[in-house]
Amino acid sequence: MSSIVADLYLFFSHRKPMVFAATLAVIAISAIAFVNLNLNENVESMLPDRKTGAALNFRLLQQAPFSRKIIINLNKQADIHGNELVEITDRLAAAMTPPFFTRVVTGPGESLSLEFFSWLVKVYPNLITSEDIKNIEQKLSTEQVRKALDGLYAKLLSPEGSAMKNLFQVDPLGFRLNALEKLRFLNIIPKMRLENGHFISPDGKNALIIAETPFAITDAERGEQMLIHFQGLLASVVPDTISVSMISGHRYTLANINAIKKDIVIILICSVLGVFILFLLFFRSLGGIFVFLTPVCVLCIAAAGVSVLYRNVSAITIGFGAVLLGISVDFAIHVYFAMRAATGNPSGALAQVSRPIVFCALTTLGAFGVLSFSSLPVQRELAVFSIIGICVALILSLIPLPQVVRHTQMTPYNQKTDIKAKFLLSRRWVICLWLLLMVICAWQGTKLHFDGDLRSLNLVPNEIRDVENTLQRTWGNFRDTAVVFAEGPDLQTALETNDRVFQHLTRGPNTSTIVSLAPILPSLKTQESNRRRWNAFWSNARKERVNQLLGDQGKLVGFKSTAFEPFAETIAGPSLPVTVEALRTIGLAEIVDTLIIDDGKNVKVLTLVPDTPEIAALFNSSDFSRSSIEIASQNQFHKTISKAIADDFIHFVLKASAMVILLLGLLFRNLKKVLLSLIPVLTGILFMIGIMGGLGIAFNLFNVVSAILVIGLGVDYGIFMVTKLTQGLDDATERAVFVSGLTTIIGFGALILARHPALHSIGLSVLMGIGAAIPAALVVIPAMLRKSNEN
Amino acid sequence: MNFIIIIALILSLPAFVLGQTRSENSDNRSRIFSEIASSASQVETFSCDFLQEKYMSMLDNVLISKGRLYYKRNNRLRWEINYPATSGFAVNGDQAKRWEDDSGRTQTFKVNQIPFIKVFTDQVFSWARADFKRLKKRYHIKVLSDKPIKLMLLPISPQEKKYLKNFQISFAADASYVSAVEIHEPDDDFTRIHFLNTVINHPLNDSLFN
Repeated sequence: MSSIVADLYLFFSHRKPMVFAATLAVIAISAIAFVNLNLNENVESMLPDRKTGAALNFRLLQQAPFSRKIIINLNKQADIHGNELVEITDRLAAAMTPPFFTRVVTGPGESLSLEFFSWLVKVYPNLITSEDIKNIEQKLSTEQVRKALDGLYAKLLSPEGSAMKNLFQVDPLGFRLNALEKLRFLNIIPKMRLENGHFISPDGKNALIIAETPFAITDAERGEQMLIHFQGLLASVVPDTISVSMISGHRYTLANINAIKKDIVIILICSVLGVFILFLLFFRSLGGIFVFLTPVCVLCIAAAGVSVLYRNVSAITIGFGAVLLGISVDFAIHVYFAMRAATGNPSGALAQVSRPIVFCALTTLGAFGVLSFSSLPVQRELAVFSIIGICVALILSLIPLPQVVRHTQMTPYNQKTDIKAKFLLSRRWVICLWLLLMVICAWQGTKLHFDGDLRSLNLVPNEIRDVENTLQRTWGNFRDTAVVFAEGPDLQTALETNDRVFQHLTRGPNTSTIVSLAPILPSLKTQESNRRRWNAFWSNARKERVNQLLGDQGKLVGFKSTAFEPFAETIAGPSLPVTVEALRTIGLAEIVDTLIIDDGKNVKVLTLVPDTPEIAALFNSSDFSRSSIEIASQNQFHKTISKAIADDFIHFVLKASAMVILLLGLLFRNLKKVLLSLIPVLTGILFMIGIMGGLGIAFNLFNVVSAILVIGLGVDYGIFMVTKLTQGLDDATERAVFVSGLTTIIGFGALILARHPALHSIGLSVLMGIGAAIPAALVVIPAMLRKSNEN
Repeated sequence: MNFIIIIALILSLPAFVLGQTRSENSDNRSRIFSEIASSASQVETFSCDFLQEKYMSMLDNVLISKGRLYYKRNNRLRWEINYPATSGFAVNGDQAKRWEDDSGRTQTFKVNQIPFIKVFTDQVFSWARADFKRLKKRYHIKVLSDKPIKLMLLPISPQEKKYLKNFQISFAADASYVSAVEIHEPDDDFTRIHFLNTVINHPLNDSLFN
């Protein structure tokens, strides 16, 4: 292999223009392809897609009532007159028009009118449950009838009296109150009350607008336009006496993008400054510039390559890939230092360094190859991306780069001032301290926990956090409920399943927080069964007795004997079925449209439940069949993702380690060398998880990628150091390891300065991992090697 | 709904009366209304007894109740029935309370929470400002008699027509106070209220409205 590289060097040394032209052509084509990449920003690619419910759960959560809506809270200051809040709310809602807003809702409208009560009386037999029958039965004693009629008589004196007299005649015993009680299950916003058909907070100081926009949450450009437009509306419609706060996915997206933009400026300044200092200290030549251009070229070519295999490349793959390809610069650095140090025989020097470089590339390919078995689509894409990238880095480092690096007299390696030399003096201490550190890190690493909450990787500025808190305080936690989906090929089948869900839920604790259509819109089958129950209850004898009772007792109170004939007619007559259309007509359109999703193929009826373990346990119990039912729960989702991350991480580390060990074994054919090569990896990973576990920092999806980088680079450091120490590579190797480590720390460790949690997270873990791997390679491996040689 | 109109009319009466006394020889209805509106601004408080008779087809007899009404500027109102049972409600700004002595129940609530009370207060307080512009938008006004003055108001909106046929206001012979209001419903049920012992701008304790 080494001789092939040397031969190629000699071959191309006479054809440099051809090499450069070919390289430039490939890079230019790739750069064009890179710029025109069709990037997919869907976060779903970060979710497991094999044999787990996480992806399904995620898709279902996106159909939850408030997941994609814009929530606007209007808060009135103390000194404005009662109706102004509602007036301004209506004005703002009216101003929110297409193309920015498609549907704007301020409340269910004037639903609870007298017509509503009249309708309720007509449909009541279809809604009645056996529990309701028991309640009605209790109302039919002489005492209860008299009490009810006395109450009616008194109410006729009250403001409502005259307006409600017809209702009193149809329903003198107040059966409608039982039906009315069912409406409590439609309270989609826990702390909401209705005022003029508007969502109003209990203290009357807040109104709510729920709006929809056609722009995707990930569409940053149009999302920003929408937010700017909304700010303009506020300025023109809302007076200073009312403050408005708004939550939408677009705000999070923009906040994140803006934070990342600011972070990148800071990080780039620091990185460029650091790299410039490195350049001045260690490179100072044209070849040095090419070294730092290598990862940029690799990124373009790898991205172009992966786009050939995947039509839509995940933006996350490119982002993570860019981090991982930090490895590619190391190959170039090693070639650079080897070529610079080569005296008289550059092809020989290249041949000598190419062996460990190819070793490194193979082990890294092996490690990344393991990712292609991941359950996360993004990691599989990443595997392809990295494999292409590593191959390209290898080719660029071994073929065109050596042609531009010239030999120079390097600073002699001074054993007395070398860091390694100082540590070698006390190698026993080095080993003891290293062992102690590893034990502590392993112990602390057991405390490491995995965070599957994708939201924790988002930057949520204090301003948005305050709005979230205000919304939750004012309206209750209506955005984070679990959702039960009852599904069917048509509405009636879905409603039948929904009836079963509701019955099952009412067996559990805390039914007061359930939001369900089932009590007010049961399936026609259930309605028929309810009606039969009602008809069976009202036997002729009972009807006669109750009508007689109403006549007699009514007479005593002061009613005419014919006063309650409408009641007798209602009981004897047919009842109206409850339909979706009827609910819409009486003013419940908003809640119906929120809780019924018809995609043309299937109908889903949603039930909102508290996202608690008790509710989850209720559905997991063996006595409830879950066919046609899906549950989307944020908590469950986080658990699934956490488990997937943990499983993936453990599997990755184990498989990658096995692959790396296998390859190292094949390359070195020496157990001692294999073990020594693994010291930087072991040190980097243990240090990283030890510090994170000790400080209570959760391990997330981004840290998994950082861990890959640490493994890839750590193995490289180990291979180079072991090769150098055992096979007589020149001293430039240590310098190359040191410089490549510094490059990584400067390049990716600078991410620790980022405000954005994801970038910060990568920076932190890389800094810890590589920060520990470098001294392990430079100090611990030589100490161990000398110790074992002494033994 | 009828009740709301009654109360609203009652509250406009002092202003109406003041307007009448100042323009007793005028036949110009518009001028009367504008004078009433300007006079309304002089009314700080108002109280009277009332006798309410409800003629309803579902009842054997006339439903009679007696009570007292209080009004104070800045959206304060108290309607109390003392016979045959004790009940009523008080409104202070956007806060309200209702009570029934028989059941011992009291309920404190925001005016906007109970549609009837809300509609009622909207009407009452705008009538208290003698907002005849709004009144004329909602009703056709007929003069049934000059002496004693008797007016008939017919609703314009179809929604209101469902509940109200018309209402009539009768003034005392000397036109110094409103003697009665009648509210007629589409099914021929009607309510008549007699107002007695009217006192204008007499100090009223704030606790009445709390």
